[in-house]
Amino acid sequence: MAKKVTRTLFKRDFLYTLYSWGYYAAIFASFLVSSFILKNFIDGIREEDILVSAYPLHQPLYITLIIISIYLVIVSAISISREREQGTLEVLFYGPVTAGNFLWSKYFKDLLLGIIALGFTAVYFYLVSCLTNLGFTTGLIKALFMGVFIISCVVSFGLFISSLTGRIRSSVVTLLAILGAFLAVQFAYGALLGLGEEATISLPLLYLRQTLSYIFQGINWISPFAFLSRGLDAVVLESWSLYLANIVYCLIYSLIFMALSIFTMNRRGVKA
Amino acid sequence: MNKKIAFFVLAGILVLGGGISWAQAPLFREQLVYSLTSFDGSGFSKSFCPQSEETLYFIANFNSVVNPRKTIVYYWPITRRYMAGFSTLNEEVPGKLEIWQGGKLINTLEKQKYVLYYPEGYWSEKATIYLGEDAQEYYDEYKAAVDEFNKKLQEYYQAMNYYQQQLNNFFEEVRRRREAGETGPLDISIPQQPEPPEFVKFYVTEPAEGFILNLPVGNYEIRVRMEDGTIFEGSEKNLVVFTARRREGVGYEIIPGNRWTKRENCDDPSWIIHAVGKNELYFNPFYQEEYNELYYNKLKDPQNIGRLEKWKWVHVDPVDDAQVLLGRGEEILQTVDKAPYFVKQVPGPELGYEIIPYDEELKMSGYQPTFESYKVTLGEDLVGADYQISTISRETGEHIPKSERTIRFLKKENGAYLYAVAFLPLVAGAIIIISRSYRVEK
Repeated sequence: MAKKVTRTLFKRDFLYTLYSWGYYAAIFASFLVSSFILKNFIDGIREEDILVSAYPLHQPLYITLIIISIYLVIVSAISISREREQGTLEVLFYGPVTAGNFLWSKYFKDLLLGIIALGFTAVYFYLVSCLTNLGFTTGLIKALFMGVFIISCVVSFGLFISSLTGRIRSSVVTLLAILGAFLAVQFAYGALLGLGEEATISLPLLYLRQTLSYIFQGINWISPFAFLSRGLDAVVLESWSLYLANIVYCLIYSLIFMALSIFTMNRRGVKA
Repeated sequence: MNKKIAFFVLAGILVLGGGISWAQAPLFREQLVYSLTSFDGSGFSKSFCPQSEETLYFIANFNSVVNPRKTIVYYWPITRRYMAGFSTLNEEVPGKLEIWQGGKLINTLEKQKYVLYYPEGYWSEKATIYLGEDAQEYYDEYKAAVDEFNKKLQEYYQAMNYYQQQLNNFFEEVRRRREAGETGPLDISIPQQPEPPEFVKFYVTEPAEGFILNLPVGNYEIRVRMEDGTIFEGSEKNLVVFTARRREGVGYEIIPGNRWTKRENCDDPSWIIHAVGKNELYFNPFYQEEYNELYYNKLKDPQNIGRLEKWKWVHVDPVDDAQVLLGRGEEILQTVDKAPYFVKQVPGPELGYEIIPYDEELKMSGYQPTFESYKVTLGEDLVGADYQISTISRETGEHIPKSERTIRFLKKENGAYLYAVAFLPLVAGAIIIISRSYRVEK
């Protein structure tokens, strides 16, 4: 019975999102940003010149995964809050629906939509490679596969935040604020790390880098995007042990946050 | 008026006063420092660790030397680091070095004699450390070689003097016989110029004493215990002994033919050489090791900062006696040997220089090669595909592991179509949504 309920809820939400323009617009936006990055990369190499770099498609993949996963969790957060506000959730929970059924259906819906988006991403990168010879490598396939687990992390984290908040606005604002803060710390720290060694940086920037380093260490196992960085690093290092370890960490992370989401929703109740 | 004068006087005092404070001499302090001779993967880096630094960094399972000294230390704000005045004070600290790990004393070291042996000469980076009697033997060998060289040099100077005399006599004889009316070829033997002796190729430092550290990976503490059993104040330091994350593989320094002074490195095996159009690339392969940037920087100088999250490849040794291959799949397109090249300045053309093979003519003209390298030509026929570069050992004829790199020729002209590809999900979405609407309406 529980399985059937979960499947019904999953199907309803999944088809609703699949037949909405927003889903495709989000993927389109992520591809547009990717195209911009790749165009700049190609234009950065002068005629009759060379440029040595690691996988150039990893950065666009990183951006694509972030945009798609954030879109999916926001849609889920809005749907949870709306159902809570409109009382649909209360009605559902009078029936055979439990917090577990409800949240797992949302999780699988987002995960499947994420996998479909990754399918689009694979086609996009394949076409890009055919056009420019940027290389559709096994490393990229490994990174795309890792993307499934990263989406799992972002979705479970997003559902946990949604289970904590009540209204649509507070839910979306909280999610965006937290995920935005994670990304801001990660990007700012990455940018400061990329400035070069200490001899080339001013003292205030060094202190800022050190401060961000402590913050980054603090959120390293909470931010789902940190798992994405670690996963891509494992691909670059060609280390199967690190790659598989990151997948296991992602699964544990997802399970913990799903358990926390169910626990929170049970404790908090279904009223707005 | 008086106010104006007062203002200018005050401003003058402030400016002069400021100038005086800026020109203040740094504060000198006498303190215990550790003089370090640290193995850096290829040779030995010399640095010192002032009191401000609490941790020393060394590579695991290789000998490094620490030597506690009393010296004068001052802060130099321009470089933001402490400097040591070893020429003013360089006092030896007596005692033994204790190594602790996890609260347990694991070893007590006494000072040992050591020398650094540079097989390719003083200016080369490659060096080996010799300890105890070996150290003295190598130093004696070096001294003997230098003495032998000096002896040969003296003989050379004498031979040169004799040669000069012979040469003068020769010219005098030619002049005398020409003036005497002799014509045609003169039957006089030309004096031969003596060859200077070759300088000693290797170099050995003077024997010195220090504590030799050779530890496995881990965290330790060290301190100096005096003969009276007390700990020397300020001698306690943490010790981080680390190793390379990746050791295998070959890294390349690439000299692009179109900008030979701006070299590129292709160290990590995952890095790709993206190329647009034809070019000439000069490859220099190196054996390499990958270390944590922070640890390695601190090893080179404990006052460096570095980034714990970053890793850096260190070129340990050039790959000699090898060949570089350019291929595509199983097909070998170019097999390249190492050769010397000369950068010739050319007035007029766009680049302003030309890289030409270093030949006998240049040698006879007294020029030295600008660099030695493996030249790979990327011709116009190599376009829009992936090619592999790799290094093979001449001795074994096999590929050196992890020496493969991809040269990827980009189709730059298709870059404009990238934005069109981004519309793919919108097209797919339109098909899915419209077909569904059609189905529902039906």
